[in-house]
Amino acid sequence: MQIETAILVGILFGCATYMILQTSFVRILFGFVILSNAANLLVLSMSGDPTGKSAPIVRDPNALMVDPLPQALILTAIVIGFGMTAYLVLLLYRLFLDQKTTNAAEMYAETEQEH
Amino acid sequence: MNWTIAPTILPILTALICLVWGQPRRARRVLVAASATLQLAVALFLVVKTYGGEAFVVGLGNWSSGLGIILVIDLLSAIMIALSTLIALASIIYGYFEMSRKVEHPLRLPLVQFLVAGINLSFSTGDLFNLFVAFEIMLIASYALLTLEADDWDIKHAFPYFAINLVGSTLFICGAGMAYALFGSLNFAEISVRAAEMSADPRVLALALLFLVIFGIKAGLFPLYFWLPNSYPTLPAPLAALYAGMLTKVGVYVLLRFFGTVMPHDLHFAHQLLAWLAGATMLLAVIGAISRNFIRGILSFHILSQIGFMVLAIGFFTPLSIAASIFYIVHHIVVKASLFLIGGVALCLNRSDNLNRMGNLWRDFPFLGILFLCQALSLAGLPPLSGFWGKYLIVVAGLDQQAYVLVGISIIASVLTLFSMLKIWNAAFWHTSDEVTVASGDKRARPMTAVVAVLASISLFIGLGAELFFSISKKAAEQTLDQSRYIELVRSYPGKGTGDR
Repeated sequence: MQIETAILVGILFGCATYMILQTSFVRILFGFVILSNAANLLVLSMSGDPTGKSAPIVRDPNALMVDPLPQALILTAIVIGFGMTAYLVLLLYRLFLDQKTTNAAEMYAETEQEH
Repeated sequence: MNWTIAPTILPILTALICLVWGQPRRARRVLVAASATLQLAVALFLVVKTYGGEAFVVGLGNWSSGLGIILVIDLLSAIMIALSTLIALASIIYGYFEMSRKVEHPLRLPLVQFLVAGINLSFSTGDLFNLFVAFEIMLIASYALLTLEADDWDIKHAFPYFAINLVGSTLFICGAGMAYALFGSLNFAEISVRAAEMSADPRVLALALLFLVIFGIKAGLFPLYFWLPNSYPTLPAPLAALYAGMLTKVGVYVLLRFFGTVMPHDLHFAHQLLAWLAGATMLLAVIGAISRNFIRGILSFHILSQIGFMVLAIGFFTPLSIAASIFYIVHHIVVKASLFLIGGVALCLNRSDNLNRMGNLWRDFPFLGILFLCQALSLAGLPPLSGFWGKYLIVVAGLDQQAYVLVGISIIASVLTLFSMLKIWNAAFWHTSDEVTVASGDKRARPMTAVVAVLASISLFIGLGAELFFSISKKAAEQTLDQSRYIELVRSYPGKGTGDR
């Protein structure tokens, strides 16, 4: 379980990095969405191997439970990540309206001459 | 009453009232100014108390330290909170004079208050994940302020700022998760206990380096600073002063807290790396400043170069150098904020802050020239101004460590700072030309200059009373490096629960 999760996290980070470095706004947006999910998955895997452990609801005091704290951290991170994604969508939309392009390379092409 | 939460909760309450109140009107402005003054008073009270040896600790929800989030205010936190509330107050008052109520954006004041709340929470928290949340409060408010009144040129430069900080936040979540897996706790005190037991473990060093990257992005360390010099100049002057004064310094504070209080003190590789990155930052950023031709652009690069000095002192990692770093932070925040505000007054008088289109300011508005000269020479480090003492202490600390190359770089950076300050002076103040008009009749210029004069006199006072400020910094450095005191403070908090997980 742990090894598979680690590989999945690695693949997700790789995909996210690749997407963010593209010039299209939509790819950048999806890159950031994947990036935040990769981070959440990484934190989830920090609660250790869940094999043989129950959900963190106390019924039998002697039963082994999954560590609930990373899950609480992820909840916070998901909420913040959601707000960030919403902001990013609006920012990119505003950039599209102003610059009449959805390509980051075109957008920054003439920046050097302006100043 | 427990005062620990006050620096965070007061700005949040003010912001909420402002949001409900809606449109900008005089009473709302008075309320925010009064609240900002109250926050400053609370912060100064905290400084006085913590200088006397007290510390303020509170467990949120009254849970004890192993179970809940702990807020701790020691002398270093109190100094930083006092500085952030001071700069916020100056920026708010200056903003009132610069911009009439009719054109003020209704969300500007609440967002400034949320920003202050986030900054103060990062200074007072004693929990790694709570620090992440504090950063997010601060960053979300700063994104919104950066794009609130932006035109299409500005918003283009807001995007890299947003993108790099989003990456930084994601890395922070990963770092917090790994710290939890490694140490079994997110509490600073508990982490420091466990990290000290396993300081030979390479994973501790790896985690420290990950956090060096995360906090380096916030502080604007080489090679992660490219986003800053383009995004800060798009802000209006009072907000630029607040950003320039405080936001990057949150990164420096966290580096101080993380390497001073949380991590074991024998991570020599990380300290060395910090020192060399700082050397690269100060040299490359000051060269960047020379390439710029408008006041806010030059000053933005200088923020980075000065960050280099503070982080260099952290990298030397002796009690003297940490004290020097804290002294430098105190000096720098006041000077940098007032320079940005001076740039704002000059912009308002010359209708431009491009050096090619400026001039005549010394002839028509000499008082502003005097203020600029004081602050610019202080930034460059000429005695007896505050910058001289900061740089002197850092150089002494460096010579103790036999880090001659780094000390040499810092002196070159200081000379180049002086050069680019003189460039502004020559072009904007000294230069006389019939083509440039100075709007001396502008009614806003005088009260705006008065706000700058107050900040400049504070910074002059720091320079002339360097002894007092250094003794405060020294005490703050002692408290920061005293891990057992910090652990004792946090563990002895009487809250609910046993503290064992």
